[in-house]
Amino acid sequence: MDYSKQIQDIAAKLFTEGKIDVFVGYRMNGFDDNQVPAVITGPEELSTLVFTEKSVFNLSNYLKADHTRNKRVGLVVKGCDSRSLNLLLTESQVKRDKLYIIGIACEGVTDDKGQKMQNCMECSFPDAVIFDELLGTPKGKKEYQVNVDIRALAEKSLVERREYFEEIFENCIRCNACRHSCPLCYCAKCCIDQETASLYNGSNTSSSAFHALMTWSLHLAGRCVDCRNCEKACPSHLPLHLLHKQNEKVIFENFQNHLAGVEEGDRGAFYKYSLKDPDDFIL
Amino acid sequence: MSFSTFVTDKPGLQKLYEAIISKHETYAPVEKFGKFDYRKVSSLKECNTNSPIEMTMSVKPLFFPRSAKIMKYETSSAGTSICETDEDPLAGQRVILGVKHCDARGLQVLEAVNKWDYIDSDFLKRRNNTVIFSTRCDKAATHCFCTSLDYDLENLDATDVAVVHGTDGKIYIQPRTEKGNAFMQEFAPALAIAEGDAPAELKKQYTAFASSFRLKMDYKDIHEKMAKRFDSTAFEEASRNCVSCNTCAFICPTCHCFKISDVKIKDTGVRYKSYDSCNNIYFTLEAGGHNPRPAKYRRWRQRSMHKFVFYKEKFGVNLCVGCGHCAISCPVNISIFDVVNHVASSPISS
Repeated sequence: MDYSKQIQDIAAKLFTEGKIDVFVGYRMNGFDDNQVPAVITGPEELSTLVFTEKSVFNLSNYLKADHTRNKRVGLVVKGCDSRSLNLLLTESQVKRDKLYIIGIACEGVTDDKGQKMQNCMECSFPDAVIFDELLGTPKGKKEYQVNVDIRALAEKSLVERREYFEEIFENCIRCNACRHSCPLCYCAKCCIDQETASLYNGSNTSSSAFHALMTWSLHLAGRCVDCRNCEKACPSHLPLHLLHKQNEKVIFENFQNHLAGVEEGDRGAFYKYSLKDPDDFIL
Repeated sequence: MSFSTFVTDKPGLQKLYEAIISKHETYAPVEKFGKFDYRKVSSLKECNTNSPIEMTMSVKPLFFPRSAKIMKYETSSAGTSICETDEDPLAGQRVILGVKHCDARGLQVLEAVNKWDYIDSDFLKRRNNTVIFSTRCDKAATHCFCTSLDYDLENLDATDVAVVHGTDGKIYIQPRTEKGNAFMQEFAPALAIAEGDAPAELKKQYTAFASSFRLKMDYKDIHEKMAKRFDSTAFEEASRNCVSCNTCAFICPTCHCFKISDVKIKDTGVRYKSYDSCNNIYFTLEAGGHNPRPAKYRRWRQRSMHKFVFYKEKFGVNLCVGCGHCAISCPVNISIFDVVNHVASSPISS
């Protein structure tokens, strides 16, 4: 999977035709074989652009940054990234006519150690679902799989699970890197930053970490696209995907096989109403 | 420096560490979720005292906790009364094993600000009651640049006892402070005193270590270069990738910005002092709604200028020890080294 040349050519064409102001892609980090995002404002730096199986970061996160706001942006998206982009479009955070989207029919990306990432092995939509131009051969939709860690956790007793999660919350340092690196966390004032809310209270205790992380994951329930930007950003290396994947499983099973951001204009499981939705929990 | 250096081998060092753990409250690098953090240990098996170079957490939280209770209060119809917290700023002595030298340097740098203007007695008490055993690194990791920042063979006083794995296979244990020397007296009978060639061997080890660095820079006049470039557009270019996630400040051994928050339940409240970061957009947000640093590059300018200009002017040292923790933990691998290097080599704007 190497689309570096194609992406460079497309970006060069877009700049020459004056269709974009900024291009967001990947470049080598300069010290090993891993890559970092590249925010490019002119055709001079285009030769640095690359795309291989090391292109991990979800670039739709950059659509909320100063450099791209209200500008015409060219963007590279993989399957999961395109789903988060779809949600950003639906939620009116970006305008479709300001974007030029290069979709990738993704074959899965690898982590720092060269292992294929877990979310890629379980990915249901490897092809970009929204694009102006698609690179690679589309592989089509795959069947939804329940995350392997969630299955393993389900077999443990309630006490064991509680102890495991308590350990996670104790190790959280409340830096909020997970939130900032999430493409779908764009609120101007996040509720977990409210100093007056004593649940979150700004202190770095495990109780405030519990409330903050649970609130965060519930706000992303039915919206999380499993790109793992949060996990990549976490300095404590916490398995944050567990919080999201459990929500995803419950929603998939209860809301007519709903997966976030797959269809254009889809508002997410909790933001739309269907007669087929379960009502057995309503008192 | 008149303290005698001890020499031992691997089993000897293990025996020493085991003796320390059995007699004193000990902290050491422990692996959790695939990263190392300094935690309390009860046996040598739990920890890795060899200072893993990829260590992501610094020793700072043991001196400046992530969330410290600074006050407790009760409100009633008669008014508000302040009561003691149950926070213990460390009464007895404790030992930290396997501290990386850069981490220990971070504490030394932080002491300056904690002794200035307001005296942070809790921080100083914790530091005074702690004996730090550092393990000198054998080689540099990808993002290390400590040798560029005042770290040389002579400047090892940040640690109380330096443990050096010599190139000759021997292990040298070198007390560096009065406190470290006094502490080592307890264990001295079991150890041999190093012969006269110890300094030469330590120098050899340092030379081998210093030559393994990928990142090198002359930091002698960096604060002057940076001060002249306050209005440089280079800050904007260097910070373009940043996602403002604050990770760098939370894991930095020298960042010390904090916020105060009250947690009140019914009539009792606790006041916490917790980490904050100048990279956070809310950091400078004023009550009236004005934010003097709304743009990302301005926050980056503050962060890098504070580390290399303001702190240097005030206290004579850089507020960066070159540990590279920030670059390791950054989701997009931005290193303070790259930012400062980029700014310092940019043209001065008129």
